Amino acid sequence: MIASVLVLGFAGAGVLGLLLSRWAAAARMLATGAAGFLAIVAAGSMVRAQRPETFGWVVPGFDLGAFAVPLDLGTSRPTAAVAFVVALVACGVQVYSTWYLRDDDRYPVFAATVSLFTAAMLLVVHSRDLVLTLIGWEVMGWCSYLLIGHWSRRASARRAAYKAFLVTRIADIGFVLGTVGLAAGAGSTALTRVIAAWGEPTVCDEYAACTGPDAVLRNVVVTLLVLGVLGKSAQIPFQDWLPDAMEGPTPASALIHAATMVAAGTVVLAGLFPMLAQAQVARWVLGVSTALTMLVAALLAMGQSDLKRLLAWSTVSQVAIMLSALASAGPADGPDAGLFHLWSHAIFKSLLFLAIGLLGVIAGGTTAVLLRGIGMRSRLGRWAFLIGLLSLAGVPFLVGGLSKEHVIAEVYAGAAEGGPGVLVLLALLLTVVVTAAYSTRAYLVIGELIDVDQPVEAVAALPAARRARRAEHLDPHGRGNANAVLLVLAVLSLVGGLALVLELFDLPGLSWTWTVITVLLIAVGAGLAFALGRAGDPGVRFVGRRAALWDSGFGADTAYRALVRPVERLARVVAFLDTEVIDGYVRGGAVAARLAGLAGERFHRRERVRLGPWLVVAGLIIVLAVGVLGWR
Amino acid sequence: MTPSAPVTLDWLVLAPALVPVAGLLLVLVLDAVLPGRRGLHLAVGVVALVVAAATAVPRALAPDSSPALSLCLPGGTEGACFWRAGPLQSTLQVGVLAATLAVLLLQSDRWHPAGTDAGATHDGAVDVALLLGSATGGVAVAAASDVATWLIALELATLPVVALVALRRTRESAHGALTLMMTSLLSFAILVVGAGLWVLATGGSTLTGAAVRVAWADAATRPVLVLAVLALIAGVGFKLSAVPFHAWTPPTFTSAPLPVTALLAAASKVAALAALLIVLAPLAGLVGAQPAPHAIAFVLGALALASMLVGTVLALRAVDVVRLLAWSTIAQAGWVLLPLSALTAAGHRAAAGYVLTYAAASLVAFAAVSAVRRTTGGEPGSGRELSAYTGLARTHPHVGGPLVLALLTFAGLPPGILGLVAKVVALRPLLGAGLWPLAVAAVVGVVLGIAVYLRWVAVLLGDPAGAEAERDVHLDRGALSVLALGSALLVVATVVPHVLYGLLS
Repeated sequence: MIASVLVLGFAGAGVLGLLLSRWAAAARMLATGAAGFLAIVAAGSMVRAQRPETFGWVVPGFDLGAFAVPLDLGTSRPTAAVAFVVALVACGVQVYSTWYLRDDDRYPVFAATVSLFTAAMLLVVHSRDLVLTLIGWEVMGWCSYLLIGHWSRRASARRAAYKAFLVTRIADIGFVLGTVGLAAGAGSTALTRVIAAWGEPTVCDEYAACTGPDAVLRNVVVTLLVLGVLGKSAQIPFQDWLPDAMEGPTPASALIHAATMVAAGTVVLAGLFPMLAQAQVARWVLGVSTALTMLVAALLAMGQSDLKRLLAWSTVSQVAIMLSALASAGPADGPDAGLFHLWSHAIFKSLLFLAIGLLGVIAGGTTAVLLRGIGMRSRLGRWAFLIGLLSLAGVPFLVGGLSKEHVIAEVYAGAAEGGPGVLVLLALLLTVVVTAAYSTRAYLVIGELIDVDQPVEAVAALPAARRARRAEHLDPHGRGNANAVLLVLAVLSLVGGLALVLELFDLPGLSWTWTVITVLLIAVGAGLAFALGRAGDPGVRFVGRRAALWDSGFGADTAYRALVRPVERLARVVAFLDTEVIDGYVRGGAVAARLAGLAGERFHRRERVRLGPWLVVAGLIIVLAVGVLGWR
Repeated sequence: MTPSAPVTLDWLVLAPALVPVAGLLLVLVLDAVLPGRRGLHLAVGVVALVVAAATAVPRALAPDSSPALSLCLPGGTEGACFWRAGPLQSTLQVGVLAATLAVLLLQSDRWHPAGTDAGATHDGAVDVALLLGSATGGVAVAAASDVATWLIALELATLPVVALVALRRTRESAHGALTLMMTSLLSFAILVVGAGLWVLATGGSTLTGAAVRVAWADAATRPVLVLAVLALIAGVGFKLSAVPFHAWTPPTFTSAPLPVTALLAAASKVAALAALLIVLAPLAGLVGAQPAPHAIAFVLGALALASMLVGTVLALRAVDVVRLLAWSTIAQAGWVLLPLSALTAAGHRAAAGYVLTYAAASLVAFAAVSAVRRTTGGEPGSGRELSAYTGLARTHPHVGGPLVLALLTFAGLPPGILGLVAKVVALRPLLGAGLWPLAVAAVVGVVLGIAVYLRWVAVLLGDPAGAEAERDVHLDRGALSVLALGSALLVVATVVPHVLYGLLS
């Protein structure tokens, strides 16, 4: 029942927060209080979680004829762990926003939207019914639109929000179709029955008589579902919305990137894992897309001129790693390596975003130029950022390192059983190198020594208003909350691997071979960054003059536009056909009906007593004539 | 029943017809003993109709029961009974009685001295007696299973209505009554010819399957049988307002008092369909036969299409709302005839369901129309121009809302889902019988029909600024009860349409 408490608690906080949006103080207390309380509840549930269980909740299920919609929720150890990390990040984001958005006039709406967003994610995490999953999925899409466009007075924020909404929406076509197909095939929306109906291996004998579900159909529906997941998780070819989403406030980015939106796909696919493992085409689609994405996004991260966008591309790359674990794991391995990476990524990525939010406020922006050496002004910010980067790079025994090694080990095991494992493993190892390189680059930028008293040149160029705001935030007063959040997340990034001690995830022991190999790869990556960084920002050295190409994500926007143009042209043709040709028939029909009415009216105008009988006689003659001519 | 017994008489089975007759006599006696007690007459009429309906309801609610027989001749062979009421017939009887009851309620307030009906000088007892007589005819024709009873019952259902139209004593109503009378007489003649041909073809006066099968099998009597059925269809087509027997409908509707128009639109149509089903029921057994009765199916389909299209197209141009409803009645009669052309039992049930749906929506519409009057004219239902209804659903939602629902039910558009279900059910037998061209033409009719009814709905939902001063909306108690009960029925049947159709399946 704790699952319903979490979902309804956050949803209630969101709705109530909207009602209280006139009183910022009350909204602040409600949002942070509810998130804190529910995070503690989630922690309790995580520690107490034993075996998987399914239960109904406040909304009763119903049957549509033979079609069952039970609307059940459920928990297991991994979902309890994911739910905890979601609640924790949400709580951290809420507390952090009280400082970060202190003078924002729309703060109460922001806090309420964050609560709703979290409720939707928790619904997806706990859902044991496709309808509930779909509801959570859609509410998340809507909330992300609101959060990215929070500063909607800025044109760029509006554009980013539209882009995020449209791109994920288009991918959602696949998700909805896949969900409908799965439910239709199972005769129920219950996850257990869907898996029972679709998760059996299809075995054919030599006469091509097969047992189990139709393999082609399964491939089609699961691939559709995977397409939806690729969109929400910003994987190639839908990757470009996520870096643009940096237009939102930094706490919103932390939430979207760390614990909710982009991770939701991993949760959904993990819930349907037995079925995914049987659908070879879907596995290949997912595997190829994620293999490509993790490497390309890591390379893009290396060359970004804005460190917040660097973090965004690193999210794309890391989410690809989670999903690749699901794509390559064999049916016997289970999805827990991907979920564990979700857990660790949520912790270190929220830490990184909140740290760069702090550093960005001090510097007055998040471009690498502005941030250069900014770590010298905030010791906490620098240390938090460093710990987050180490975890991101996958240094052993930090939370990120543990989970990444498990993913690599699982992909290696899965590669032996066929599927896209070999390709993914190759991409994964390369990505480890590049990740280490860009992590090193980020720290080199932050940590470069600069005299504290001398303002950076770029700061002097800032508008006066922004400078004033910066000065206000530099005041250590009131930053305590944000500092506390950073501290907690930094500690968790160091010791989050204790989740393995608690046996929250069903994983084999650590592989020493892979640990040694990753250490070597990280050393190579870091060494490369150091080598490039001898004379300045290694990222700048890396991309040279093509910085614009890197910042535009290899021109994905142009590609999107090229794709849209023919569609637009087709739409114009269809509209022309509709208004000029088809409407012509319709209007002609209307004119004909009107003329017929006029003629009929003329005919009946002489409604004398005579007309009726004459008509009757005429009718009788016609009727009888038909009878005489037509009888057989 | 033993072969030597005399004509058997089961009084309880006959009760749906006998109770209104008893009520009729009681009203006439009461009028002689205590003249001028209008409330008493009304009470007797209401009680008689309610009791009669109550006696028919149990059979209507038991769809699997075998037909109740009465007035059986000695000999006990099949069809030797003059009265044969199965579940379908009983349902239609309930429909006739309920529709007449609604008309009685609509009529009731015109007797009050406050009522300013120009023709309200006649006695209420006559109205009640005529209504009960018409109801008796409608109930009897639904269960009549021989030609003579059938003919008499059909005329009993029609003639009182002529009197009711004429009783208004205005020039237009005399004109309307005369048109009705003339057409009615002519169709009676056609019906008698048809009945004669029937007796000639089957060699007996019973309207049952066995005799028809024998007549159909014989190549000599087959043409006679076809002519007989076509003549009977033509005769009933007049009562049903099917094109080309429709010409009486617009003048009579617009000149008769509104409650009588409602009677013609609702109760008469139910009775007419019941009569037609008696003739067509034996033919349902011929569908598999060689040769098949194509001519009859063709004529039914042609009448249906002509009614549907002519009625709809002319309704499209009507400005007087009663005239619009008259043409709409003709169009809906086409819909009632449509499923019959499949010549199957499912088609019969679909037609019955359609006519009942249509009757309920019509009564609601007429009750709403009777509430709107012109401020200067003052007579109930006198605000008949479409413009007088501008924004009615906004200013008087308790009148305009049910009217919108009724119109959408006619059109078959949600939220009038009952009308949609009725249309789907009516089309299904056609598809089952492979009559695709008819179904396609019917779809064209649906599209045109939507234009007809949405035209009025749009007016009802419009801006009421100008029209408010010109109209006076006043609901009598009777009209209010009809409106409330009718819309409740429509809403309930819209939410759970299978309740109505469960009774018919």
